[in-house]
Amino acid sequence: MANRINLNMTTVKNRELRLGTIIGWDGSAKELIEQSAYDERSIKKHGGCKGAGQGCRLCELQSPLNQETMCSNAIVQCQIGNLTDCVLINHAPIGCSSEDAKFNLTMHMGLARRGKPQQNTLNISTNLQEKDMVFGGAAKLRQAIRIAKERYNPKAIFIAMACATAITGEDIDSVAEEMEPEVGVPIIPLHCEGFRSKHWSTGFDVAFHGVLRQIVEKHPKKKQKDLINIIALWGTDWFTDLLKPLGLRVNYLLDCASFEEIRQASEAVATTTFCETLGGYMGAALEDQFGVPQIDAPQPYGIKGTDAWLRAVAKVVGKEKEVEEYIESEHKRIAPKLEEYREYFKGKYGMVLTGSAYAHGLISVLAELGIKNEAALVFHHDPVYDGAGKNQDTLKELVETYGDIPHYTVSKTRAFQLPQLLKRVKTDFLIIRHPGLASVAGHLGVPTFALGDEHIPIGYDGILRVGEILKGVLARTKFNKTLQRHVRLPYNDWWFSQTDPFKLTNDKDVFKDIEEKLGE
Amino acid sequence: MSEIQKKKPSVISDVRYACAVGATNTVVAIKGAVPIANCSPGCQLKTTAMLTFENGFQGSIAAGGGNMPSSNATENDVVFGGIKTLDNLIKSSLKIYDGDLFVVLTGCTGELIGDNVPDLVGKYQKAGYPIVYANTAGFKGNNLYGHEVVVDAIIDQFVGDYSGEKKKGLINLWFETPYYNQNWRGDYQELARILRGAGFDVNVLFGPENPGVEAWKRIPQAQFNLVVSPWVGVKNAEHLQKKYDQPFLHIPEIPVGEEATTKFIRQVVEYAGIDKKQSEEFIKQEASIYYYYLEHFSEFFAEYWYGMPSEFVVTADAAYALAYSKFLADQIGLIPKRVIITDNTPAKFRPAITEYFKNNISEGVSIDVDFEEDGYEVEKLIEGVEFTAGKPLILGTSWELTLANKKGALFFEISTPSSETLIVNRSHIGYKGALQFLERIYSASVGGK
Repeated sequence: MANRINLNMTTVKNRELRLGTIIGWDGSAKELIEQSAYDERSIKKHGGCKGAGQGCRLCELQSPLNQETMCSNAIVQCQIGNLTDCVLINHAPIGCSSEDAKFNLTMHMGLARRGKPQQNTLNISTNLQEKDMVFGGAAKLRQAIRIAKERYNPKAIFIAMACATAITGEDIDSVAEEMEPEVGVPIIPLHCEGFRSKHWSTGFDVAFHGVLRQIVEKHPKKKQKDLINIIALWGTDWFTDLLKPLGLRVNYLLDCASFEEIRQASEAVATTTFCETLGGYMGAALEDQFGVPQIDAPQPYGIKGTDAWLRAVAKVVGKEKEVEEYIESEHKRIAPKLEEYREYFKGKYGMVLTGSAYAHGLISVLAELGIKNEAALVFHHDPVYDGAGKNQDTLKELVETYGDIPHYTVSKTRAFQLPQLLKRVKTDFLIIRHPGLASVAGHLGVPTFALGDEHIPIGYDGILRVGEILKGVLARTKFNKTLQRHVRLPYNDWWFSQTDPFKLTNDKDVFKDIEEKLGE
Repeated sequence: MSEIQKKKPSVISDVRYACAVGATNTVVAIKGAVPIANCSPGCQLKTTAMLTFENGFQGSIAAGGGNMPSSNATENDVVFGGIKTLDNLIKSSLKIYDGDLFVVLTGCTGELIGDNVPDLVGKYQKAGYPIVYANTAGFKGNNLYGHEVVVDAIIDQFVGDYSGEKKKGLINLWFETPYYNQNWRGDYQELARILRGAGFDVNVLFGPENPGVEAWKRIPQAQFNLVVSPWVGVKNAEHLQKKYDQPFLHIPEIPVGEEATTKFIRQVVEYAGIDKKQSEEFIKQEASIYYYYLEHFSEFFAEYWYGMPSEFVVTADAAYALAYSKFLADQIGLIPKRVIITDNTPAKFRPAITEYFKNNISEGVSIDVDFEEDGYEVEKLIEGVEFTAGKPLILGTSWELTLANKKGALFFEISTPSSETLIVNRSHIGYKGALQFLERIYSASVGGK
């Protein structure tokens, strides 16, 4: 019996422990697939046993130099902080809330894309001071909970843990439990302190874990046979267009969702996502503990992926016959335009720099457009996802369909490696989905496409949408060449002359000169 | 109002500043300086998002933003100590960055687990590396506090002792917190231009005209420190007074418009005791250009019969709330309905600022200024304003956008955070900037809005 998710505890096991996630690796995609042993791990996830040695730790490159990056607390803000009728209390010093304005802008964008009324995020920081580090912040947290209720009359109140409060040992679970009867709405502790996991995506799991434990209806009285959960971010509602022919309505989780939309997740007919990295935890939990099946299929990117994904969805709703007609007509519809783009992008090379499963989807789309991918950079690699479905090995699916990627690098937002990464291969543009890297790469003479609306590449139309946008991106090369001619990145000549992005890791003598000077 | 709301809460909604470790951006504002963030993952992305992105999208440069070294503490560091991680980070930064000065800023995590950062950085200092450390835990204060801590750290550990002569006419310019106000770069340039025009040798420590860390080495040679801000930088000037026996002139009001700027120049020249010939010549020339434009503007001001704002509300940090309110109330004749200062101004500076708004803004104008950092309360204060004359003008942050729409107000962003504004090079202060400020306000008014 599959038992992939444990909802008994308030905490979530980190991705590195649960999935074997790594954030440093360099080789070919094929090698990584072999080393990842997805199938063995998948069997284990589903309660089976393959004997000793299964799913052993992947080799991981450690880097002595890291740079500005995201954390799980930020991910919780971007998920829970963007609910329309719930409050997120960040139990932390004020700096942990300093990205709130950005998430507010993101929410405004998301609400507009989904046709919902505009509103600001409902956020509170307990604004902890030095004395709170010494004497504890429980009283302030109680005050914040009462204020949250008073100000916003929310359907639920979430409490996010931060590094400072985790180190000083704030007991947010007890305060949540104690205060719940007083305020009369669920109070949900989220253990998302930044240092807890080496990768921010653990924050997604923490957010989902909280809503699964305390909001999603445990005993649904009815089933909504035409409702499908889409684990998403703030993307434009293109899933409706894609799924309407199968008679389905979409229930987007979590960004821009209301309490009620989350509650009804267990009434849906199935769960799927635009990205297994993001949606795996929620999908697996809904399947194991709420009986809502996840769509075990490749992600809906590129023609083959979208075909397979649609067929899997159709199977769940008994529309196997209709889907074939739909697929055939869609192929015909996009063919002329796709041919045009393939001609346009002939001889072009691209490079994707995003989270892992999403990168696999994007590379498929570029391949459909006739764009070559000699290299890719993913910010983490999960050798298996929580869903662990037979057909969800996204990297294998990519390589089997579109061929190997000779330079496949796993590295978490280390901008200093970009000169070497770009030196190794031909690249006409980059697609980047994470703050901090695009502007750095832009200095190297290559245009970048900061992909904010994550739904742009999905489905058949997604291929065309990406093609259309890339024409504009390529034209911007002129700006990046100007920048390259006149502005230099902050690294020295020695670093620019290197060819290995992991030189600081791989060369054991690299700090010899400094150590000598220090007398070490 | 309930009991809870009456008791002033210490919690904050809709935050308007970053925390102390966001002072990495103060380092980025010095040419050739590299910040080394000794904190958790997320700290720099969040604080930098607020200061450089969601703040007029002003952007970062050099070793800022995505290029910034950061220790990104892990559970392992928290349990076993983070010194080894920081040591590796410092070595790597020295190895690959082109840097003349490295500044290690320690955030909450490093401070709470008690890593001995001074000891570690001391090892590098002894070996001759230009590196300093600063304690900038987020629970100690906001980014303005962190800015002052970083400045003192560089003075003490990098500039060092000095016993030479002071140079008459050389001024250290202490002005705004870099990357905090959306116009800080342009404002630094305008203020430096004005002081140079008046005959001073201006030592510019931050921004586009900062020549590099050598400016910091020059600090002790200056005749005096000029602090242009209601409070930010006063602490540093007091420190310099003790350290180098260097006096300082504190002018709380950033000058906006001809009259204020001319008064400002005369005050600084008087204090310095330099020859007035050049400054008076400069004033004459600038004033003539200023009024050449203002006279043109006066036609619009007199003839535009489709309506324009006459009442305004400001929510900003102390420096710009004061500077802009003064200009609008005293030079244009807009009526201030409410001024809310949101930067957690230290208590000892509040009485003077309150007094300034009460009695010093303009003849016949008196404002009861509010100090409020909690965005929910800020919104309540603005919501409670009864505008009586025409379309109101709200100068604030992106948090006020929804409210401004509700009130049918003209709105534009002058303070952090700002996500409706893109700024490349702009100033609203001094002679030139004041005219740009007018353009911005009245562009928001024309065209049937």
